[in-house]
Amino acid sequence: MTIQTKKEATALIVTITGRMDAVTAPEYEKKFSELITAGETFFIVDFEQVDYISSAGLRVLLATAKKVKGVSGKILLANIKGGVKEVFDISGFGTLFPMHDSLASALSASGC
Amino acid sequence: MIKIEHLSKKFGDLEVLKDVTVEIKTGEVISIIGPSGTGKSTFLRCINLLDRPSGGSIRIDGVDILDPKSDVPKVRQKMNMVFQSFNLFFHLSVMDNLTIGPIKLLGMSKVDADRKAMDLLKLVGLAEKAESYPDELSGGQKQRVAIARCMAMDPKIILFDEPTSALDPTMVSEVLSVIRRLAKAGMTMAIVTHEMDFARDVSNRVLYMDDGVIYEVGTPEQIFDNPQKEKTRTFINRIRSFSYHIASPDYDLYAMNAEIETFCDKQILPVKTRQNLLLLVEEMLQIYNPLLSTVLLDINLAYSEKKESLEVVFESTGEAINMLDKSLLPDELGLTLIQSVTESIDYQRVNNKNRVTLILKKK
Repeated sequence: MTIQTKKEATALIVTITGRMDAVTAPEYEKKFSELITAGETFFIVDFEQVDYISSAGLRVLLATAKKVKGVSGKILLANIKGGVKEVFDISGFGTLFPMHDSLASALSASGC
Repeated sequence: MIKIEHLSKKFGDLEVLKDVTVEIKTGEVISIIGPSGTGKSTFLRCINLLDRPSGGSIRIDGVDILDPKSDVPKVRQKMNMVFQSFNLFFHLSVMDNLTIGPIKLLGMSKVDADRKAMDLLKLVGLAEKAESYPDELSGGQKQRVAIARCMAMDPKIILFDEPTSALDPTMVSEVLSVIRRLAKAGMTMAIVTHEMDFARDVSNRVLYMDDGVIYEVGTPEQIFDNPQKEKTRTFINRIRSFSYHIASPDYDLYAMNAEIETFCDKQILPVKTRQNLLLLVEEMLQIYNPLLSTVLLDINLAYSEKKESLEVVFESTGEAINMLDKSLLPDELGLTLIQSVTESIDYQRVNNKNRVTLILKKK
């Protein structure tokens, strides 16, 4: 798993590569916490390179969303596809998070 | 046609074949199955004299081929072998691969050999590749050429040594369908294979080899559905199923996933099924996680070819508890995902263990 970040105007684009499962979830959660502590409030998470997500990965997103809300920020998700999208749809997470087909769409929706 | 009695083969002190006795009749298709390293390939190589047996006799149409006076090249022409690694002549075109034997060894004219080669290439669906070189072909195509090359020598029997083991899973079926066609046409064949569905379909008889002997012989129905002897039963059970034992919350999810993927490969399960299976297992383990420091958990996967269904059983020690009981779960997220990929979930208390049986959805 890897996490890359890139600042785009006020948004931080977080690109995740690999699996979001019970093994990697704690590391993702830690990374998001660090970014929030460092003052980031507005996240666009790019799922283009994510090929698997389980409930452990979904919980990280939920926990992160709560923290982001606590600092009056927001979190958008982009490029969720295939089996990962199915997991979002089945779990109902598809309606909890604003999802965009591309980074460009997420950026324009955010007004960046 | 071939009568093998008390065949043995030693490599130094290692006795690979101990005492093999079997008869292969004209028109029979025999599959040879069994664990790795039990002498299956050595057995084929001994029949073809690629390895010289240490003892016993092999009679082909009454002629003892181990008799020093017998004409080994002539004997070999009666049988031909298809190897795991194709063994084509890479510097020759497909056509020349097929004609070199008949011209040089059988004295056939080039015209006749070409005509026959073309007929055989049509039979294996590769007529248009006649002028290609082996390097230009896929693995499946190379193996089909190798089969056609065998046929070009008009053998009485073809010995197949794991003909699909070196192939990408997508190419296995094209090779197996060619072998099936030969079987239908009445070709006598002995096939060492790990493709159990194929062995079941194509064979008249199945030999189960273990530890250098033919441990059990029977019809495909007997060997696969109702094996009579202990080792055969264990082997057949193992290839259809997978077990993983978890005794601590620090289990290695990725090591287990890799083993599950290997199991899925063996059963040739679709990508979607394996994704769902990995998700199901991970979600179940997340739910069991609070218990894992105090109970032992066994995960068993069993694929039923007949029903085309995959059964996943979680069996745990400890007091009676159904871990999927909604009232015990902190939330239903994991359970929702589990339900989405399964068609049934059943809990039973059996032999002082908690058993949850889940059947994966087919699509």
